[in-house]
Amino acid sequence: MTNQTSPETTNRFTFRTFVLLLLPILLLAGVIYLFLRTGGGLDLQSPVPIENLTIERYYLERGHIALSVQNTGPETLTVASVIINEAIMPFEVTPSADIPRLGRATIDVNYAWTEGEAYAVRVFTSNAVPFDVEIPVAFVTPEPEAKTFWSFTLIGLYVGVIPIFLGIFWLPALRTLGKNWMTFLMAVTAGLLIFLGLDTLNEAFEEAAELPATFQGIGLIGIGAVAAYLLLEMVGRSQSSDRSEASQRLSIAWRIALGIGIHNLGEGLAIGAAYNVGEIALGTFLVVGFIIQNITEGLGIIAPILRDRPTIGQLALLGLIGGAPAIIGAWIGGFSPSPFLAVLFLAIGTGAIFQVAVEIGRFIQKDLNREAMPVTVFSGVLTGMLLLWVTGIFIK
Amino acid sequence: MDKKISRRDFLKLGGAGLVTAAGTAAAMTQTTTNNKTEHKSHLLQPPMQMDHGEGLPGVGDVDYVKNGFNPSETLYDFDYGTVSTLPNGQTLREYEIIVINKNIEVVPGIEFPAWTYNGRIPGPTLRATEGDRIRITMKNGSNHPHSMHFHGFHPGEMDGVPGTGPGGNVQPGEQFVYEFDAEPFGLHLYHCHVFPLARHIAKGLYGAFIVDPKEGRPPVDKEMIMVMHGIDIDFDDGNDFYAVNGIPFYYQNHPIQIKVGEKIRIYLVNILEFDLINSFHLHANFFYYYPTGTSLTHSEFTDTIIQGQAQRGILEFTYKYPGMYMFHAHVTEFAELGWNGMFEVLA
Repeated sequence: MTNQTSPETTNRFTFRTFVLLLLPILLLAGVIYLFLRTGGGLDLQSPVPIENLTIERYYLERGHIALSVQNTGPETLTVASVIINEAIMPFEVTPSADIPRLGRATIDVNYAWTEGEAYAVRVFTSNAVPFDVEIPVAFVTPEPEAKTFWSFTLIGLYVGVIPIFLGIFWLPALRTLGKNWMTFLMAVTAGLLIFLGLDTLNEAFEEAAELPATFQGIGLIGIGAVAAYLLLEMVGRSQSSDRSEASQRLSIAWRIALGIGIHNLGEGLAIGAAYNVGEIALGTFLVVGFIIQNITEGLGIIAPILRDRPTIGQLALLGLIGGAPAIIGAWIGGFSPSPFLAVLFLAIGTGAIFQVAVEIGRFIQKDLNREAMPVTVFSGVLTGMLLLWVTGIFIK
Repeated sequence: MDKKISRRDFLKLGGAGLVTAAGTAAAMTQTTTNNKTEHKSHLLQPPMQMDHGEGLPGVGDVDYVKNGFNPSETLYDFDYGTVSTLPNGQTLREYEIIVINKNIEVVPGIEFPAWTYNGRIPGPTLRATEGDRIRITMKNGSNHPHSMHFHGFHPGEMDGVPGTGPGGNVQPGEQFVYEFDAEPFGLHLYHCHVFPLARHIAKGLYGAFIVDPKEGRPPVDKEMIMVMHGIDIDFDDGNDFYAVNGIPFYYQNHPIQIKVGEKIRIYLVNILEFDLINSFHLHANFFYYYPTGTSLTHSEFTDTIIQGQAQRGILEFTYKYPGMYMFHAHVTEFAELGWNGMFEVLA
C-alpha cells in the first residue's frame, strides 16, 4: 500500500500539514481580533445591563440567613440591596459584593426569622435588576454533624438498601422456577429498567431546567447519558468474548446493580435536598409504600443470575452497589446539594439503565433461539413497567 | 400547587417521613425574636452599624454630594422665589425650574435614573402668600416633553396638561412660563402631567406648593416639608422603596432634632404612585391635622392619618418628653422599605 502512494500522503505530519492545519486557526484569530477592535460594523452595545444571578442555596441559622449565589451573567455584577419579606435588610457579601462572571459569593443577612414561616428574599444588583428566592418553610438548615449524618444514612438505608435486599431474598424461591418463568422475570426486569430509565431522564430534565443557562443542562444530559451508555457497552463487549455464559449473566447483574445504584444516588440527592429546603411531609405510610415500590429493584438485579449459584458475598455486594448510593446521595443532597452534579448523575443513571435494559434484551434474544417476540417477553416487559406505574398510583 | 407529582416528589415525601420517623430531625427549637429589648438604643445608631442580631430593616447612607441634594436641607428648604412688586402693588414671585434627567443614588449602590425638577427629589418647595403673582419659568433640559401642573386656581392654559396649550407639553430644549395668582391658601403640590402620567410622576417630577394665608398661620418654632413618595427601581409599576424627601431611611439614619415644648408644623404631601394609600403615624404623641391646609381650624386630633395620592395636609404638634420617637407610614410594609424616620427630642 505505502509503495503505491506518494511520500507526501504517507507521511501524515509534514511541516506543510502542520501549517495547513494552523492556517484557519490563525485566520480565526485575525477575524476575532478585528471583530473585537471594530465591532464588525454591528452595534453590539446593549442598552440595558444583562445580568443573571443564580441563588443556588440558602442556609438558615437562628437569627441568620445566608444565600449562596453565583453570577451566571456575562459581566461582573454588584449586589446592592437585599429585601426580605418587603423589608430592606443590612447585609454582607463575602468575598465581595462585586461578583465576577461565574464567580460565587455568600450573602449574609441577620434576620430574626420564625420557625415554619415563609420568606421571600429579593436581591437587587446595582443596576436595579431583581433576583428572587423563596424560602417556603423556614427551619434551621441541618449541619453536617453526627446526628444529621446518621439520619441521612437511615434515609438511604430505608430508601435504597433495605428494599433491594428484600428483593434479593426472593432468589431461593425464584430459582426453583422453570426456564419460561425465568425468561419472563428477565423481561420484567427489562420493563422495570425502561420505566426507571424514563423516570430518571425526566428527572434529569427537570433538574436541568433549574440549572443556570451557562451550564447547558440539556447538553450535559446528553453527554452524561451517551457516555454512560457507550462506556458500559464497551466494558460489556470487551468481557463477553472470553467468558462463560454464567459469568456473562453475572456481569449483567453487576451492571444492573450499577445502573440502579446510580439511579438511587439521584434519588438520594433529591431526598437530601428536599429535606433541606423544608419540603417535608410526615408519612410513615409513604415510607412503607416506598419500600414496596423499590423492592422490585432488588428483583431486577437477581433476575439474570437465577440459574447460577452466586456466593453470599457477591449477593451482598450486588445489593450494596444497587442500594448504598442512595445513602451517599442523601449525604451530598443534604449537605451540599449541587444542581450540576444532580443533572450529571441523573444523566449517567439514564445512560446506564438503558444500556442494561438493551443488554438484557440481547440476552433474552440469545436464550430464545431467534424466536421473535414470545408472549413471555411481551407480557414480562409490560408487567415490569406496570409494576412501577401501579405501585406509583397507590402510593401517590 | 397543582403541579404533577413525580416519583421523585414522592421520594421527597417518603424521605422526609423517614427523617421524622427516625426521630433525628435537626433540632428545631423555637427561634426567639428578641428585638424588643434595647430597641431604642439601636435605633439611635445608623442601621449599617446596628447590632445585626436585632434584624431591624434599613440601609446606610448614599452619596449626597453626588446626588446634589440632602434631605436634611430639603426638610427646611422653602423657596420663596425672587420677590418684587408689580405696578399694581401685587407681590411677584419668580422661580426658575429646570427639568433634567439625573441618576440619583437612592439606596447605597443603586442609582435611580430619575427625572427631576432642579436635579432633586422632590422638586423645590415653592412657597407664596395668597394673592401673590407667581411666575415660573420652566426650562426643559431633558430628552422628553414635560410640564408643571399645579393644584390650585389658575387659567386653563396654565394647567400644564397636554391639550391646554404650549404649557401642557414643553418640548426638550424649550421653555414655558407659568403665571397665575397664588390661591386658595393651603398646602398644594405640582407635578408633571405629560403622559404616560404614572411614569412621569414616579420618575421624580413632583414637589410641594405652599400658599400661606394673607394673615399668616400662627407662629411655630419649626416648619418642615415632607413629601412622601415611592421609588420604582425596576420599572415594573410597583414601588421597590418608599421614602420621605427622596432617600429611603434618611431620617431614621439622621434623626430630626427638635426640643421639648417646641411647636412643630409639618407640611405633609403624598405623591405615591402605584400604591393606593400612604399614611403618617407619630409615636408617643398626637397632632392637630389641617387637611389640605385650607382652613385655620384643625379637623382632627390624632396620631395617624391616611392620604391618597395628591392628598396633603398640615400637622402641628409638640413633644412633652425628651427621647427618640419614630414617625413612619403605618402602612408598615412601606416603613420597612424606607418610609421610616425618627425625631430626637432634646430636653
